[in-house]
Amino acid sequence: MTLEQAIPNFADWVFEAIRFLPIFMIVFAAAGFMIGYLVSAVRRGPVEGFYAVATVIGSAVVDIANTSVRRTLAMAMLAVQESIRRKVLVAFAVFIVVLLFAGWYLDVKSDNPGRLYLSFVLTSSNYLVLILALFLSTFSLPADIKNRTIYTIVTKPVRGTEIVLGRIIGFMAVGTAILVAMCLISYLFVVRGLSHEHRVDGEIQVTSTELSPDGSLQGSTTYDSHHRHTITMFDDETGETDVVMGHHHAVELAADGYQIGPPEGALAARVVRRGSLRFKDRSGKPGTGVNVGHEWAYRSYIEGGTLAAAVWTFDGMTADRYADGFNLELNLRVFRTHKGNIEKGILGSITIRNPDTGARIRSSEPISFAATEFSIDRQFIPRQLKAIDSDGTVSDVDLFEDLTDDGKLEVWIQCSERGQYYGMAEPDVYVLENDGNFAINFIKGFVGIWLQMLMVTTFGVGFSTFLSGPVGMLATLSTIVVGLFRQFIVDLVSGSMEGGGPIESLIRVLTQANVSIDLDIGRFPTLVVKFLDARFLDVLNVITMSLPDYAGFSTTEFVATGFNIEPSLLAMQVLRALTYFVFVTLIGYFFLKTREVAA
Amino acid sequence: MSESMTADALPEETTDASASDVVVETRNLSKVYRDFWGRQKVNALKALDLEVKQGEIFGLLGPNGSGKSTTIKLLLGLLFPTSGQALVFNKDASDVSKNERIGYLPEESYLYKFLSATETLDFYGRLFDMPADVRRDRVNELISMVGLDWAKRRQLKEYSKGMTRRIGLAQALINDPELILLDEPTTGLDPIGTREMKDLIITLREQGKTVLMCSHLLADVQDVCDRIAILHQGELKELGRVDSLLKVQDVTQMQAQGLSKEAEEKIRAIVAEDGGELLSLENPTTTLEELFLSIVTDSEARPGRRAQGDN
Repeated sequence: MTLEQAIPNFADWVFEAIRFLPIFMIVFAAAGFMIGYLVSAVRRGPVEGFYAVATVIGSAVVDIANTSVRRTLAMAMLAVQESIRRKVLVAFAVFIVVLLFAGWYLDVKSDNPGRLYLSFVLTSSNYLVLILALFLSTFSLPADIKNRTIYTIVTKPVRGTEIVLGRIIGFMAVGTAILVAMCLISYLFVVRGLSHEHRVDGEIQVTSTELSPDGSLQGSTTYDSHHRHTITMFDDETGETDVVMGHHHAVELAADGYQIGPPEGALAARVVRRGSLRFKDRSGKPGTGVNVGHEWAYRSYIEGGTLAAAVWTFDGMTADRYADGFNLELNLRVFRTHKGNIEKGILGSITIRNPDTGARIRSSEPISFAATEFSIDRQFIPRQLKAIDSDGTVSDVDLFEDLTDDGKLEVWIQCSERGQYYGMAEPDVYVLENDGNFAINFIKGFVGIWLQMLMVTTFGVGFSTFLSGPVGMLATLSTIVVGLFRQFIVDLVSGSMEGGGPIESLIRVLTQANVSIDLDIGRFPTLVVKFLDARFLDVLNVITMSLPDYAGFSTTEFVATGFNIEPSLLAMQVLRALTYFVFVTLIGYFFLKTREVAA
Repeated sequence: MSESMTADALPEETTDASASDVVVETRNLSKVYRDFWGRQKVNALKALDLEVKQGEIFGLLGPNGSGKSTTIKLLLGLLFPTSGQALVFNKDASDVSKNERIGYLPEESYLYKFLSATETLDFYGRLFDMPADVRRDRVNELISMVGLDWAKRRQLKEYSKGMTRRIGLAQALINDPELILLDEPTTGLDPIGTREMKDLIITLREQGKTVLMCSHLLADVQDVCDRIAILHQGELKELGRVDSLLKVQDVTQMQAQGLSKEAEEKIRAIVAEDGGELLSLENPTTTLEELFLSIVTDSEARPGRRAQGDN
C-alpha cells in the first residue's frame, strides 16, 4: 500500500488542533457575525440590523441551553419513520443485488483476490451509503417546508437546534442500521468468496537437495480456484504451501494422508511500527534522495553502489517487545538505469545501526536481500547478529543490548548494484509488530465510511436549512467533489501545478501556449492576470480547506491491502468529523433561525 | 376599593378591558412580501393594531388575500414583520418559549401522513417535552374528545378531510394551551362537524382560554366570536363586538304574545303618529354577511379608509 501522506503523531496533531481551534472559532464567529450583520443591515439599516443580529445571537444561547433530548429524539424518530416511508431500504436491496452479480465481473484469476474482494465490497458500500445519505438529508427539510408540515413543528416549543440535530441523528440511525447490515454481509461475502480447498496432487516426495538444501519433502496441490500451490514439509508432519494469490495453507500429515488447511494470510491486518526517514547522499553526507524524473515527488531514490542510504529511525525497540528479533517489511520501488537481469531483483543491504555515536558497537554486518518490485518483502532481523567492532573483529552481538540506544535503532538500506536505484518514502519500511485481528480492522474500515456518511448527512441537513432539495443536494455533492479533488486544488494553490489559475489557463488554451513557457501577453496584463488568479485561488483555497477531505477519510485502502488502521488515525478522523458536525450544525441552526419558514 | 367593586358589578365586557389581560397585541404590524431581488410584490398587511384579551373569542375576518393568515403567521413567528411588532403573552413572536402556551391549527392540517393518530399526538406531545405517562393519558383523552377512537391506529393518509381536521385540532390542544390560534377552523367540515367545532370553541372559552380564529365563513364567526376584526387588502376595516356591530340602530324590534287586534291597531297608530313606518312585527338583527359585504364594497369604492365608525 502507498500511504500518500505520513500519518502525523496523534499527540502532536491534537496539540496543534487544540491550539488552532480557538483561532478558528474566533474567525468563524467573526465571519458569521459580519455576514449576518451585512445581510441584516441591508434589510433593516445599520442600527436596527445590529440590534437584530444581537437578538439572534442572544436567543441562540437560550435555544442551545434549552435544547431537550426528548424533543431531539422525537425529531430523530420522525426522520427514521420518514426514511422508511421513503423506501430507504431500496438502497440496501441495490447492495444485495450488486453483491449477487459481483461474481460475474470480479476477476477470479486476480493475483490477490482478497484485496479485490475487499476493495469491491468496501467501495460499493461506501458509495451506496453516501448516495443514500445525500438523498435523505437534503430533501427532508425542504419537503417539510414545502408541505408546510413544518408549521406544526415550529409552532411548538421546538428549537432550531433540535430540528437540525434530530434530523442528523435520525438519518444517521437509518444509515447506521444499513451500514451494519452491509458490513456483516460484506464480511461473509469476502470470507466465503476466498474460501476454497486443495488436496495433494500426486505424491509428496524428497526433491533434489539443490532445490531444497535440507532435503525436505516437496509436492504440489491440486488446481482449484484458478491456482495451485507448492508444498514444503518442514518435518515429517507439518508443512506449508507457498504464497499464491495472496494466501497460503498449512499442511499436516494425518492418519489418512496429507491434509491441507484453509487459506491463511489473505485477510490480514498488519500492525506496524513506523519510523522516521532521512537520507544520506552518494558521498555519505546527510542529504536528500534523488528525483529520478518521471516519478512523482512522493518517493526519493538512492543510487546503488555508492554511500547513499535511506535511514529509518525506529523508537521503542525493546527486548520485551521483540524477544527473538523483529520482522521488517519493505515496499521498495526500483528504478533501473540499465536492464540488468530482469528475472532477478536488485540486490541491496540492510544494516542495523546504533544511533548513539559513542557506542562501542556501531553497526551490524550488512544483511543482503533482493528487492522484489511491487510487492512487500518481509525480512526477519534475528536478535543475534554479527557485528564488526571498533577493532575490526567480527563478533556476535545482541540486537537490543548492543545496537539500540534507549529503544532507538537505525535501519540503513542501501542499494548494492551500481547504476540502479531504490525508491522509498517514509511509510515504505516499517517494523511488523504483529498480525492484528482482521475482523476488527474490517469494522474500523466501516467506521471510516460511517464518518463520511456523518459528514454528508451533516452538510446535507445544513444546506437544506436554506436551500431547496435539489439545490441542497448539488451543494452537498459539490462539497464531496471538492473534498475528493482536494489535493489537486492544494497543488494548484501552492503553485506546484503548472499553467496558473483560471484566467491564465484560459489564455493559454486560447493562444495554444504550452504550460511550461512564460505567459506572453505583455508585462502589465500578465501582472493583472496573475493577481486576479491569485485572489481566485485564495478564495478556492479557503473553501477547500474548510470542507472535509473525503479522500483522507477513506480507510478502505488500509483494509484492502491488509494494514491495521492505526487507532490514532481513526481518532483523528473521529475528531475531524465531530468538529465538522458541531460547526455545520451551528450554521444550519442559524440559517433556520433567521429564515421565514412560511415564506 | 370602590373601583374593583364597580368592576365586579359591571358586565364581563368591561372587565375584559383591563390592560394586563392582553394576550395578543400587534403594534403597527406590517408585512411586505418581496421577490428574490428585494422588489416589493405584495403589501400584505398595513400597520395593524390589534389587542386580543384573555378569555375572548376573537375573529379575523376578510376575503381571500386580505391578510388574515399573514397576521396569524406573524403572531406565530412563521413570518417576520417588515415593520412593527407582534407580541404574544408580551413576548416577541420570534420567541420560541411562547409556544409552550399556544395551540395552533393551521389552515389545512399539515400533519405527517405516514403517522397514525396516536403516533401523531404522541410526537407532538414529545415536542412539549411531556413525560411518557402524561403523554399517553393526554393522547387518549384528546382522541376520544375528537371522536376518533375507532381510527386511532390508522395512518393519516387514510383519513378523510374531516378526520384530519379533527386530529389537527387535537394536536393543537395537546399542551392544554392558553391561547389557541385557529386558521379557517371549519373549512372541510360537514355541517355536523362544523357545529361540533363551534361548540368546542365555545367550550374552550368557558374553560377560560383565549381563541383567535380567522375565517371567511361568516356564519361561523357570527356564531362564536365575541369580537371581530375585518381585514381587506391588508387593512383593518372594522373592529368591535359582534353584537353591537350587528345591531341595527334605527330599527326597533318588538315581540309580544297575546296582543289583541285593538292593541295592534293602537301600536300601528302610535307608530304612524310618530311619523314612523311599521315594517313588520319582527325586528331583526342584520346578518354578518350583509355587514361584511357592505364593508367590502365600501372599501373597494374608497380604498385606504376605515369603513363605518367604531362600534
